[in-house]
Amino acid sequence: MAVSKLAYYPGCPSESHAIEQDMSTKAIFEKLGIELIEVEDWNCCGAAEAEDPMMVYALNARNLAIAEKDDLKMMVTSCSVCFYNLARTNEAIEGDEELKGKLKAIDPALEYKGSVKAKHVVDVIVNEIGLDEIAKRIEKKIPVKVAPYYGCYMGRPSRLGFDDPDNPETMDKMIEALGGEVIPYSQMKAKCCGGPLMMTRSDLAFEMTKNLLEDAKAKGADCVVTACPLCHMMLDAKQPDIEAAFGIKLDMPVLYFTQFVGLGLGIDPKKLGMNKNIVSTKTIEEKVI
Amino acid sequence: MAIKTWELDPNFRYEIASMPGGENIMKCFQCSTCTVGCPISELVSTYNPRKIIQMSLLGMRNEVLESEEIWLCAVCQTCSERCPQDVKISDLMGAIRRIAEKEAHKGNIKLKAVRPIFEEAFMHQLEKYGRLYEMGLSMEYYKKAHGGLISGMLAMQKDYQKLGMRLFKKGKMGPKSMLPPKIKGTKEIKKIFKELGD
Repeated sequence: MAVSKLAYYPGCPSESHAIEQDMSTKAIFEKLGIELIEVEDWNCCGAAEAEDPMMVYALNARNLAIAEKDDLKMMVTSCSVCFYNLARTNEAIEGDEELKGKLKAIDPALEYKGSVKAKHVVDVIVNEIGLDEIAKRIEKKIPVKVAPYYGCYMGRPSRLGFDDPDNPETMDKMIEALGGEVIPYSQMKAKCCGGPLMMTRSDLAFEMTKNLLEDAKAKGADCVVTACPLCHMMLDAKQPDIEAAFGIKLDMPVLYFTQFVGLGLGIDPKKLGMNKNIVSTKTIEEKVI
Repeated sequence: MAIKTWELDPNFRYEIASMPGGENIMKCFQCSTCTVGCPISELVSTYNPRKIIQMSLLGMRNEVLESEEIWLCAVCQTCSERCPQDVKISDLMGAIRRIAEKEAHKGNIKLKAVRPIFEEAFMHQLEKYGRLYEMGLSMEYYKKAHGGLISGMLAMQKDYQKLGMRLFKKGKMGPKSMLPPKIKGTKEIKKIFKELGD
């Protein structure tokens, strides 16, 4: 295995509503024998709310610099928004001595040479560790129908993403390797869930997420698998609110990608935080063989 | 709506192009690829990124900056990805929003959306604690967006009571989340805001 030690950037939701993603990420890396070193005293990446790109670069340079000091070459994050902000900071800093100087001048803690590659957890699992390596360690099969939902930043913008901007497939391959059946979902899998509008235009965000869930249900999915805490918040935690707003019944379990992989690696569902998902995941757990 | 040419601001396009993210605005040739693929345009018929760009290029500064539409973009990057002219529309909208926020702060224009209030509240939490303090964010946002502490708290209760209970029952919103998650390096974060904050 190429990777044995990674910097880990959990992101803000890891301590609250995305705790099961944090738990399942830690559990699968432990099982795979890869050490995750949490970025010490990490700060927020600025999410979608830091509109000034310079602000994004400064906030993320601090996090990347901490990992650089520890001589770690790769940083993994399980949030798509954090990934986007870390990756575009690296992009901006690469070869731009003036920008590096400006950041350093703000505070020595922002002195960052640009040596830490930022990666999304899906990319690390499927492309860095690799399907073959995971396949050797599969203990259980999960024969369920899955709607794989990628959202925005895994493939867009393509200069930063690691998958196709319109029809991503990285998670599909892993889901199939674990015995899952991927439903035809290419019209929806990379269409925005409306997450950034959740607080300010919840009417739009609700409708966008409703469309994703309804399509998954209509195509016979047993669950949705996703890998971003903001998407998950919309799809899972808000699902009862969306049901109430539109007078519909969805009952669609939404698993984090890391939970799904963890089930396949034979990890105890409790350790994967499966009891923390809002919509019950029992129907999926029962089908694991 | 007739355009009054004598009221146009010919410098607006340069103002946008000077902002990070807005650099490529003048490359737009109005093909509408951005609008055709936009998930917001699909739901809101008046939301038209192509039109916002054309209005900006013409110099309809106040109409653009005061429009509600600039606050509807979910930054999904679909338009930026598909634009044949590399206008980077998602980033461009961010540049326009920043100009709007600055002008509103100076009292020159009035913003019609609540999103700038949310973004400001979010950044306040970040400045204070270094991480997102969800409780603090919600309190500040609802108070400001709903005209006062009491009306804000009532609106927050209405919107979030059920979600809050759901999260609480699953152990995702315990007593720990009631307190801010202050990091050790808040001094560094405060310096970033001092240098770069508006």
